[in-house]
Amino acid sequence: MKSVCWLTAALCLAACSEAQPSRDSGGPGDLGAAADGGANDLGQSDQGVDAGEPDADLPDLGPADTGVLPWGEVVVDINLPRPPALLSEYRLVRLENGVLRYNDRVVPYELAAPLFSDYAIKERAIWVPPGTQVNYQDLEAFDFPIGSAIIKSFSFAPDLRQPEVGRRVIETRVLVKYADGWHALPYLWRPDGSDADYHVRGHVEMVDFIDPFGAPRRATYLVPQKNQCTSCHELSDGQGGTFTTIIGPKARYLNRLELGPGPAINQLERWVGLGILAGLPALDQVPSSAALTTYGSTVGWTAPELERAARDYLDINCAHCHNPQAVQGVTSQLYLNVDNTDEFRLGYCKEPGSAGSGAGGRRYDIVPGHPDDSIVTYRIESERAGEMMPLLGRSLADTFGTRVVRGWIQSLPSRNCD
Amino acid sequence: MRALWLLPLCLSLIFAACGDEDTPDATVDSGVATDAGRDSGPNDTGNTDSGVDSGTPDLGTDGGVGLDAEPTDTGTVANPFPNTSCAGVSECLQFVVGQENDLLDAVNDLQTGTRIVLGAGTFRFTNAVTIRDDAITFEGQGIDVTILDFAGQVAQSNGVDVVGDNFTIEGMTITDSKKDALRIENSTNVVIRRVKATWSAGPATTNGSYGLYPVRCTNVLMEDSEAYNASDAGLYVGQSINVVVRRNIARRNVAGLEIENTQFADVYENHVEDNSGGLLIFDLPGNPVIGRDVKIHNNQIISNNRPNFAPSGTTVSQIPRGTGTFTLASRRVEISGNTYQNNLTTDVAVLSGLAVQSSTAAWAIPLAMVVGSTVGLDLPSGGGVILNFVTNEIWVHGNTHSGYGTLPDSTNQTARPLGALLGLVYFASGGLGPVDALLYDGIGEVVDPDVVVNNTNFNHVCFEDETGASYATLDLPKLAGILDGGQRLPSTDDIYQPVLPWAPFDCSGFTGGPIPPVVLP
Repeated sequence: MKSVCWLTAALCLAACSEAQPSRDSGGPGDLGAAADGGANDLGQSDQGVDAGEPDADLPDLGPADTGVLPWGEVVVDINLPRPPALLSEYRLVRLENGVLRYNDRVVPYELAAPLFSDYAIKERAIWVPPGTQVNYQDLEAFDFPIGSAIIKSFSFAPDLRQPEVGRRVIETRVLVKYADGWHALPYLWRPDGSDADYHVRGHVEMVDFIDPFGAPRRATYLVPQKNQCTSCHELSDGQGGTFTTIIGPKARYLNRLELGPGPAINQLERWVGLGILAGLPALDQVPSSAALTTYGSTVGWTAPELERAARDYLDINCAHCHNPQAVQGVTSQLYLNVDNTDEFRLGYCKEPGSAGSGAGGRRYDIVPGHPDDSIVTYRIESERAGEMMPLLGRSLADTFGTRVVRGWIQSLPSRNCD
Repeated sequence: MRALWLLPLCLSLIFAACGDEDTPDATVDSGVATDAGRDSGPNDTGNTDSGVDSGTPDLGTDGGVGLDAEPTDTGTVANPFPNTSCAGVSECLQFVVGQENDLLDAVNDLQTGTRIVLGAGTFRFTNAVTIRDDAITFEGQGIDVTILDFAGQVAQSNGVDVVGDNFTIEGMTITDSKKDALRIENSTNVVIRRVKATWSAGPATTNGSYGLYPVRCTNVLMEDSEAYNASDAGLYVGQSINVVVRRNIARRNVAGLEIENTQFADVYENHVEDNSGGLLIFDLPGNPVIGRDVKIHNNQIISNNRPNFAPSGTTVSQIPRGTGTFTLASRRVEISGNTYQNNLTTDVAVLSGLAVQSSTAAWAIPLAMVVGSTVGLDLPSGGGVILNFVTNEIWVHGNTHSGYGTLPDSTNQTARPLGALLGLVYFASGGLGPVDALLYDGIGEVVDPDVVVNNTNFNHVCFEDETGASYATLDLPKLAGILDGGQRLPSTDDIYQPVLPWAPFDCSGFTGGPIPPVVLP
């Protein structure tokens, strides 16, 4: 059932993988395939920092890399009265010579389209209790067993064209699935990298670096407060209550090809092989996102390619608030989830609820054909506090993402909203 | 969609200024000096006029200090808890200035039912104060005694940001937040008492949007609170159900007090002065909470003539300065016993939603999404949607009016077409005004300036026992048509200005009121 898929991927790999180590090989080719065939999407490369050294020493090399480390079994104890004070207490992850290493059965993963976070390098992994499995879901976030943990770490390097050089990890967020749902637990790394401390009050840090395009940047990087996690991770249950959700681990974002020392394999199939994922249908039945890295060009992309990429970009970057189930965001009535088909609530000729100065003097969320008249482009391109979207998680504009959204709006048949 | 009245061209009319620039009227503010004298806040800088509003009523009335002379800045207050403390209270945490980090640690790790008490002085933050737990009480020593200062905020966040049921905030000033000063969202049983929101720069486009902003809440009490200098609404309740707003003060905001997409609101004894628009009731298109049963009574709505300083393109930037009240896309609204003084555009405008958004499709709400009750409302529906552009069952009575309508806001016809239109109708063609105190846009009605009995009142809009007021039905579609034709200017000859009792808008047979007072649990 998957041979065609593999073949396609393999051909693409042969054609593209080595050729363009520092630039996304060009959207159109990447966008159509169900599996993301781009070699440079592996490992950390989603961050747009995969400058020519793909994956050489990354921990996501599949089963071969998950040998037992000499640090004991993982401990995710959901019965503790308080979260552990130190990240090391979980025995999930640690720093070795500046590189994050995961314990046995902690499975690194990558998203086809990541949330932009000021160009931070993000490394993600999951752990599920022995003998349990994640349940596949078509559209919603995967259903994780109670006691599971998702580990997400944020790092910077002085020059993100060489992300392995001088990398420094700032924070690791542990999402733990309790009986009452997910809890987001922030840990701030000590300067010496010896451990990370549970840190709920947030932290602000100026970070200077060269971005993947070679431009000097200064981010006002925000480690969110624990309560601010809910501004992205909270959904309404439809009965007056709310629950904390996860954003990335959905079929469409996990459905990507990954490379290792052996043959390339789809990430979801690897999870099945590891025994941690149940219910995966045939891959051609699995939704897939466009492959979006934070660098590259949209030159030559067709309108459908731009649309697919932009809708996926808006979905992963905006729809955690801008969807009908969100707690924050529904006041705007702007729904950017990828399955929203209501043009008005997608923003077409829609006036904003309370955009304030974020409107940039523009009147409609999206004016088809006119990115310079659209509030959506203004807010994602702005770097001024009070105007920017998303509200949290960036102080810088995403050069590639804004290019994709701008290109999409430009490609739409022109409308006069007035 | 273009508003019906949006003047389509830079008519070769009397407009000198057709551009986007907001030309402030140097002459507008004949405003009476009626400040109640309660905004003696240290954060209300005396420079609030920003040079554009010479002669505004707040001159000399900011009874306190001039510039941000914060009373305490050091935590060296003799007794930081003169008015309230944790003494004798279980589940209570108290903090003094200098313990901002401890406070942030605490609010991110709260037990249900905790009371938090802040001492006197100025607490400074670089991020929001967030609360996500239930039954939290967040208390300071009083307005301008306990100050939460967000000027150093690097994240673009609100000041105090809450999601939690049974929440009470009391006794503090919140200043200089990047976004809203106090935002409470999706919470049930909310009390806001003696809280002041302000921005130290005075009224500025770059200020945060809203002062006190409970949104999508149920059972909201906002009382004895104050809001200054917000670039959107100072006091706001939106998308909420069961609301009491009383004895508050709003000054120098773009919108003083807004009741938006809200059901069952009782709004009384508020002082709303020197904003661009005073006390506003409306629904936004597409919002699933259909506003209804709003009672506005015994408020002071004075000299709301501040040039509109909202960021251009925003909904509130369309408010003509000098607007006392409008009730737009709303139904079952009772406006009574209020004092309207010196609002230079008009006192009370009753407007269909189509006046600002002429596409009925934009007002369609899928029935499955509707929040709250629509029982007894007369709204068009069908095809699985309900439309809330209609304004009906409006009862305006027993208000007093003076000094209205002498200088409607014609400063920017693109941004504020209604003000510009009123300027034309009442002052072009030799007219001398003033704009009538009470206006109904006439959308959906037959309007005949000449034959009284031809005029209809399908929407049950009525006015009675008004003191010092005059009334007109505008017939906005017709006025827009005249402008589109470009042959002549509209004038008062085109509108219906009846003599008392203003039939058929005289409340005979009116059954839409009274709106019952709201009783909170």
